[in-house]
Amino acid sequence: MAVLLAAFLAIAACSGDPGASTGAAPADETSAASTPQKGGEITVLEDSAFAGSWPTGLDPATNTTGGANIAMMGAIYGGLFLLTANGDGGDAKVTPNQAESYELLDGGKTVKIKIRRGVTFSDGTPFDAEAVVFNLKRNLGATCTCTPKWPLVKDGIDVEGGDTVVLRFTRPYASVINAFPISNVNWIVSPTALKQLGDDKFRVTPVGAGPFTVVSNQLSSELVLERNAQYFKDGLPYLDKLTFKSIGGDQAAYQALLAGQAHAYEGMNTVPLMEQAQSGGRLTVTMQPPTSPYVVQLNSKATPFDDERARQAIYYATDFEAIAKGLFKDRFPVSQSFTAPGGLFHHDAVPGYRGHDLARAKQLVQELGGLNVELGTLGNYVAKQVMIALQTQWQEAGITTTIKDYQLSTLVQQFNSGKWHAMLQTAGAWDPAGGVGVAFRFASTSPFSGVADKALDDMFAEAEGTVDPAERDAIYTKAGQYISDKSYAPFGLAFAPTNLTAKGVHGPGLTTRIPPLVVNSGVLWDEVWRSQ
Amino acid sequence: MTAVAAGRHRGVGGRLFASPSVRLVGKRLLMAVPITLGVSILTFWVLNLIPGNAAQQLLGADATPEQIRAMELQLGLDKPAPLRYLDWLGGAVTGDLGRSLVSGQSVAGQLGERLAVTGELVAMAFVVSLLLAVPVALLAAYHPNRFFDRLSMFVSVTGLSVANYVLALVLVLVFAVRFAVFPAIGFVPLSESVGGNLHSLVLPSAAIGIPMFCLYTRFLRGDLVDQMQGQDYVVTAQAKGVGPWQVLLRHAFRNSSFGLITVVGLNLSTLIGATVIIEQIFALPGLGQLMLQAINTRDMAVVQACVVVFAVVAVLANLLTDLLYAVLDPRIRYGSR
Repeated sequence: MAVLLAAFLAIAACSGDPGASTGAAPADETSAASTPQKGGEITVLEDSAFAGSWPTGLDPATNTTGGANIAMMGAIYGGLFLLTANGDGGDAKVTPNQAESYELLDGGKTVKIKIRRGVTFSDGTPFDAEAVVFNLKRNLGATCTCTPKWPLVKDGIDVEGGDTVVLRFTRPYASVINAFPISNVNWIVSPTALKQLGDDKFRVTPVGAGPFTVVSNQLSSELVLERNAQYFKDGLPYLDKLTFKSIGGDQAAYQALLAGQAHAYEGMNTVPLMEQAQSGGRLTVTMQPPTSPYVVQLNSKATPFDDERARQAIYYATDFEAIAKGLFKDRFPVSQSFTAPGGLFHHDAVPGYRGHDLARAKQLVQELGGLNVELGTLGNYVAKQVMIALQTQWQEAGITTTIKDYQLSTLVQQFNSGKWHAMLQTAGAWDPAGGVGVAFRFASTSPFSGVADKALDDMFAEAEGTVDPAERDAIYTKAGQYISDKSYAPFGLAFAPTNLTAKGVHGPGLTTRIPPLVVNSGVLWDEVWRSQ
Repeated sequence: MTAVAAGRHRGVGGRLFASPSVRLVGKRLLMAVPITLGVSILTFWVLNLIPGNAAQQLLGADATPEQIRAMELQLGLDKPAPLRYLDWLGGAVTGDLGRSLVSGQSVAGQLGERLAVTGELVAMAFVVSLLLAVPVALLAAYHPNRFFDRLSMFVSVTGLSVANYVLALVLVLVFAVRFAVFPAIGFVPLSESVGGNLHSLVLPSAAIGIPMFCLYTRFLRGDLVDQMQGQDYVVTAQAKGVGPWQVLLRHAFRNSSFGLITVVGLNLSTLIGATVIIEQIFALPGLGQLMLQAINTRDMAVVQACVVVFAVVAVLANLLTDLLYAVLDPRIRYGSR
């Protein structure tokens, strides 16, 4: 049987065109050189375990998986703001889209967002400040982790002069704009269509002002969209039709792309398949710039890591550089803080960071009289590989490690119990204050944090409220240094998923690099095109 | 009153209900009620034992306890489990399978949309596997231990030792990626195109059907060889000068088909189980895909409905098996004295 299978796989492996280019990142260069063409359609595959699951529908106020569904949301609603970057992922910034401009006033306590004139929803009704305010109020009440927690004053959302939305906060909240593309307040629905259809129908066939409108939607299975004839950008979108399909994992998606049944797959994380796709040359492989490094969270609120020596022992016993080289061929950079090269405020090194020092680790373990650690993670390919490598490295230092690959629910239970030792997780975001940012893993108030340190909380709050980017950078640098000094959690590989696309498909965030928002990048669907 | 007169008095309806086959069907259908009830209780109980609930699953790892609590209230998960089960059961017996906890859509509507896909997939896998298994097993049994028999055994053992999800990926690599003769993913509804529909189901049904074909071939071939080599009725038929093919087809196959029917009946639930994985790989919008999504989101209403559908199908399959016994062997009269 093995012989037969090997023969089949060999046939398939030989099916690539060896002469074709790999199309590997940085970005598909032909897209920059070629002129976009109008028309055509593409099918995009999404992993059923993440982005391919939209069980509660696509209404931003009732969807509970918005962070995972940014592709669909972006295609239907567009967004008040978008995260854009140049082709190689550099110079990333949040730019107004359906919003025209914004102002931060009162040191960040007031934000004024001017709405672009002349925009209409696909049902023909006006996209104005009233509609945006209606949506902001509605979306802020959503039970979704993509709902931002704005420190608003009472009645802090208002319309001014017909085309401006005013947000008033109880404290400076300068990072609010950077957090828009990652949260449900970015997606504005047509209030008229919502009223006409009712909540239940609207969540299946929502109406927005984005580049595409919904033709059909079978939840967590297939979403068929067609170009929005009322779209506010002249000549866009390029595509006539865009279909999202849910598929059971990287392998099946890869094969479907090779078979020509689909044109793109977002969020590949199985490294051997990425390598195969690159060497096969039949697909364009675009690795996104990483924003969220892996971190070994140590629970400093309970034994054994309430003892700083135990935390230091983990730092000294951990060699992420070796893991990056040995397991991933230096494909992913290693961070020493909660930022990564694709995100804001990143610095390659943290002064005084405790690197790998086996002798020192052994000495500390001996001083402690031994160290037993339970290390858990929410498994995917990379996390599992890293966890096994860590177990081996720590063993060399005399640390006995039990590794656990949790399901989502048991992981949450572990965190809530407060009895966990160490967790391999990702930390940070493009803007550390946005979405599932640094506070999520390190703030005293977060149930998913192993740290309770007021000094660190204060730094995060100060950075969140600071308008000047240079000042924010300084505060986050200080916070990174503080985490390192206190040995709260060693950081590691800054992993970012990869997009696979068929040759001839081009688009920002799909075949060019845009820093990921949550896990995947926010593809600018209106600019995606296909060579005819 | 004589028995004849009593028979006349019973009329058509009476005679119908006196029929052993009808009584069998009636009994089995009645038995389906406690079975289905038991299955639904067991499913509900097991789903409640699994850590986490729909609220937690929907909100993901980043949700705070407050968000989870709010979602639990929204979904009615704050009620005690027995009360939730009784609520569901109350609706189900009146034909209302309720609404999905997660999407708010009608469960019956969701089942209706997807049942056709899974039904077609299962039927195609089933028919193709049987249609291939019978002639191959007959040919193999006609000349046991010769080339064709050995080849068929090799293929059977090979097919049985491969998990169907591995087979699915290999089939896609060969027939969709390499030779591009069948689609790797997707489903074309019958209403859109009959040819397109069959074309879209070839690989998924082969992934399910090939292991079944191997099982049936192996089983039937073994039984046929056994019948042909050792049974008195075969020797008698041969002594009467009946040709070897006729003996095989008319006598041995008829007897061997009892065992085959039993295996096929028992195997139907395995076949339905296989659709859960295969529908994921081929992105087919069927019941298996729906059930897996519902389990992942702990959507009790949808899981319960899917399990009940599967249970009913299994009960009906077993009933059909029993009825086929009676058709094949007139001596079998269920419930007759």
